[in-house]
Amino acid sequence: MDERDPSIVAKARDGDRDAFRTLVEMHSRYVYSLAHRMTGNAQDAEDVVQEAWLKAHKQLSRFEARADFRTWLHRITVNCSIDLIRARRHREDAHDPLDLEQGPLSERGAEVQATPERMTASAQISDRVNEALGLLTALERAAFTLRHVEGMSIEEVGAKLGMKTSATKHSIFRAVKKMRAALEPFAQS
Amino acid sequence: MDTHLSEDELILHYYGETDRADHARVESHLGSCAECQFAHEKLRRVMTLVDSASPVEAPPAFERTAWARLEPALPPSRSALRWTSSVFWFPQWALAGGVAALVLAAFMAGRFTGGESPVATSPSAAVAEVERGRVLQTAVGEHLDRTQMMLVELANADVDGADVLASEQGRAEDLVAANRVIRQSALQSGDAQVVDILEDLERVLLEIANAPANATSNDLTDLQSRITREDLLFRLRVIASEMRQQNQNDREAGDPTLRRMPRS
Repeated sequence: MDERDPSIVAKARDGDRDAFRTLVEMHSRYVYSLAHRMTGNAQDAEDVVQEAWLKAHKQLSRFEARADFRTWLHRITVNCSIDLIRARRHREDAHDPLDLEQGPLSERGAEVQATPERMTASAQISDRVNEALGLLTALERAAFTLRHVEGMSIEEVGAKLGMKTSATKHSIFRAVKKMRAALEPFAQS
Repeated sequence: MDTHLSEDELILHYYGETDRADHARVESHLGSCAECQFAHEKLRRVMTLVDSASPVEAPPAFERTAWARLEPALPPSRSALRWTSSVFWFPQWALAGGVAALVLAAFMAGRFTGGESPVATSPSAAVAEVERGRVLQTAVGEHLDRTQMMLVELANADVDGADVLASEQGRAEDLVAANRVIRQSALQSGDAQVVDILEDLERVLLEIANAPANATSNDLTDLQSRITREDLLFRLRVIASEMRQQNQNDREAGDPTLRRMPRS
């Protein structure tokens, strides 16, 4: 079935539960990946997927037929991820998974002692990047993802996360520094 | 030569977000300083590496499990809603207001205040405690699920059907009772996040319970706006999800009696 078939969206908008199920089954993997990138863990990603679809279902009547459904869903998912991160934001101060002082990923244990040769496969690179992203706090990760992946300006990121621009900048600085410390050994070639 | 660029300045430059006042200085320095050019190039390589990473894939058959989880949470049709309100909920409702509140009180008193230090017990007492923990765990989970389902139904109710408020009043009154028990216990244990959401829930539940008999569609719209504005459903799901995760962890650890509400 064509993912871009507008008739499925139209049917779902008219209340056809089977059509909505088709949309869920077509796009949930994409939504999950996006939510995981934003939140950094599987449980949160699953919760965001659930919330994003509930919001999509509720707002479907407002979806414009000419727009791209996935783009619309992407926006909802990003917003749901941000909502979750903001809801948990107060935990940030007390819980920072790892600090820069602990050194780069390449210096932590045998599992990460990969040589540059072993890092050539894209899957390994992806694993390494995702591990590095795992070093960020939820807020740093969200700020970094919104700036680096979603392409929002720092000011826009701050507005989304309910932070002042200066605080947003510092979250992004910390995130990039952690990413750099973790990945620089593998980015030489 | 002027001072080298800081790492923060390099990051801002990479993203094209250098302040206007600093732009000329940063560009000029970067154009003439090999050391900063090298640092900038290293940063660019790291960012390229980040860009080249594939996203984390969903587990196998995720699309089907996503639907299985989602479908029960979708608003039912109006006819199904009426049936649910009038038939299905009544017996559970009667239970929730009385027995369940007492069960919750007993549970919370033990869980919140005494859970940190395991007490030496006989094997049979320990088994009984495990079983009690399971029952109570279910009671708390059901309270959260019931509250969530009612709010989902109200949030999605047709605004022309303001009578839906009147039909939910008994249910709301009972949920208020159980909610208070949990909130008091959470307050004593210092679970700020749980207290916050339970306070917000309680206000909404009271609003529903005390809605006038002649509630209008505006009353329903106001309530729906409040549910949305305060992100009640999402916050409720976060708490419920954390509880599920905690319960799962406890099951894996083999000791459900040590289960606690999520900490803030």
